[in-house]
Amino acid sequence: MSQAVADTSARVPAGVVADPVIETVDLIKRFGSFTALNQIDLSIPRGAIGLLGPNGAGKTTLIRILLGLAKPTSGTAEVLGFNAFSQGIQIRERVGYMPEAECLPSNATAADFVGHMAEMSGLPKTEARQRAADVLYQVGLNEERYRLIKGFSTGMKQRVKLAQSIVHDPSLVFLDEPTAGLDPPGRDSMLELVDRIHNMMGMTVVLSSHILEDIERVCDYVVIINEGQLVLAQPIGGTPEGGAALSIQIDGDAQAFIARLNTLGIADARLRDRMMGLPEIVIRSPSDKAYDAVRDTAVELDVPLVSMTGRTRSLEDLYLQAVGAEALDAEMYGGV
Amino acid sequence: MAESSVTTRQDGRAFGEVYDRGYQHYTGPRLGRAHAFRALTGYSMKRALGSKKRWTAKVVPVILYVSVALLVIIPLGIEAFIDSAEVLEYWDFFSVAWLILGVFVATIAPEMLCGDRREKTLILYFSRPITRLDYLLSKLLATGLLTLTITLVPLAIFWLGRQLLDDSPVSAMKDHAGDLWRILVVSVLVSAYLGALGLVVSAFTGRKAIAVGVIIVAFLFASALAGVLQESIGSDAQQKWFALISPAQTIDDFSGGVFGNPQIDSTFGEPLSAWIYGAVMIAVVLICCAIMYWRYVPED
Repeated sequence: MSQAVADTSARVPAGVVADPVIETVDLIKRFGSFTALNQIDLSIPRGAIGLLGPNGAGKTTLIRILLGLAKPTSGTAEVLGFNAFSQGIQIRERVGYMPEAECLPSNATAADFVGHMAEMSGLPKTEARQRAADVLYQVGLNEERYRLIKGFSTGMKQRVKLAQSIVHDPSLVFLDEPTAGLDPPGRDSMLELVDRIHNMMGMTVVLSSHILEDIERVCDYVVIINEGQLVLAQPIGGTPEGGAALSIQIDGDAQAFIARLNTLGIADARLRDRMMGLPEIVIRSPSDKAYDAVRDTAVELDVPLVSMTGRTRSLEDLYLQAVGAEALDAEMYGGV
Repeated sequence: MAESSVTTRQDGRAFGEVYDRGYQHYTGPRLGRAHAFRALTGYSMKRALGSKKRWTAKVVPVILYVSVALLVIIPLGIEAFIDSAEVLEYWDFFSVAWLILGVFVATIAPEMLCGDRREKTLILYFSRPITRLDYLLSKLLATGLLTLTITLVPLAIFWLGRQLLDDSPVSAMKDHAGDLWRILVVSVLVSAYLGALGLVVSAFTGRKAIAVGVIIVAFLFASALAGVLQESIGSDAQQKWFALISPAQTIDDFSGGVFGNPQIDSTFGEPLSAWIYGAVMIAVVLICCAIMYWRYVPED
């Protein structure tokens, strides 16, 4: 892992983004001798932004700094054009935040608490109550809004957290691991809501997660952080660094297959064994010669070729390039 | 926007109609930091009294309010029937009501802070347009205002009742307007003093039961400690200073001083000037605020 990080964690210069919602320059945050964020240069456009990185990468620290809740050691940060250190109040009037941890009062009803949070964001009392009812309806808690939060399931609590983060109709909302602790249907539902917040409600969403699929499903721009370093910031759909890949599934010895491909001059073949099903071999930026090499290798080694598919460059590829295969395995399969 | 439909009634109106309300952007006013401060203060006061909680949360505040109400209504009733009777004086109120005041503060102060800390709601408050200092001042204000309802309000009612019992109520009110100001000054300072003491204890734990216990024990212990110190090491000149250790004695002596009727205590002797008690109480409030701010300052 450390080797992979060393290979890929070079600083990424800030891209040119028109009207960025978030901009940081040389942002550093240290806790004693530990560097949580190291020289982060970011320029994030409006849209659905994925903030991706392994646990402990520095995502939450970055969000706390952008909300004006933590002071950086050095560097500058602007959110919606406001300085994050000196204009935290103005930022927090316009921004919503859904923390990862449990943070709801158990002995309050959803309507009461979300309405209170709306008032805390500056909305008059009557409007706050109305907005709370509307937003709880939007997140699917219309009927349950007068029940005490302590009787809610994890999924319902996540919805209340989401509701309080958007009740004041912010321009930008930070969602810190919104699918944490949810079962697959709950996760699907939450991601749909996040998608609605961006597409229907028109808010810029920063979705912090360590789960690739969540980011890939909802976001159109990704920022990858690893060990406090910014390693990538670019649109997900774009393939500026690489083009397509060739995915091969075989029913045989994958290592021998790759070794043979290498001898045939295909150096960029990599095993992507997910510990389930058949092994998958990926060849980046395949040329015509690669297709011929795969065919010849299968014949020579007498290995059944189960499938051969052209793949566009996915977020997983970007993440792999950024943090390395070991980190990806650790995130996706718990280090198995 | 209203898509749908359903059965239409004979009068042409639909019932059971389902509306897709869509999403409406908020275009109304945003009242900012001051409004957030007021909202937090009001919400904290309501929650501390058990509003929108189960009935059990309202029991203790109701008992305490009834107790303090009886404390002023009964003497007024006696004075109404017996002309020369003066059962309760303004300066007696705090010594008589001390137990009620202590339990009231021990009940509401933990409600102000402990829940937010224990349930990690603080992060949601701090993601709103307020500062940490705003949060603490709002909680102090909420505690102080609630304590005023059990100090200023009963005393003001007692004052008003006394004037109404006079043969000439209007002139009595004019003659005793000074007492009303003294009631206001003493009540405000006592409420801030007790509220700050209750909050500073509550700032160190997320468990309400622990905070309640520690506050009550601290009040009792402080009184006992003051007495023991006076008995063991105090010279005559020093004795009266030990009264400052005890919140009960401090409040008692302060109110006596402000109403111009200093009480000579059998333990502490002749009290200090009311100014000294007032200054000490203000200093205690400021020190408690500083400790709470240190407690809530960001760890990073």
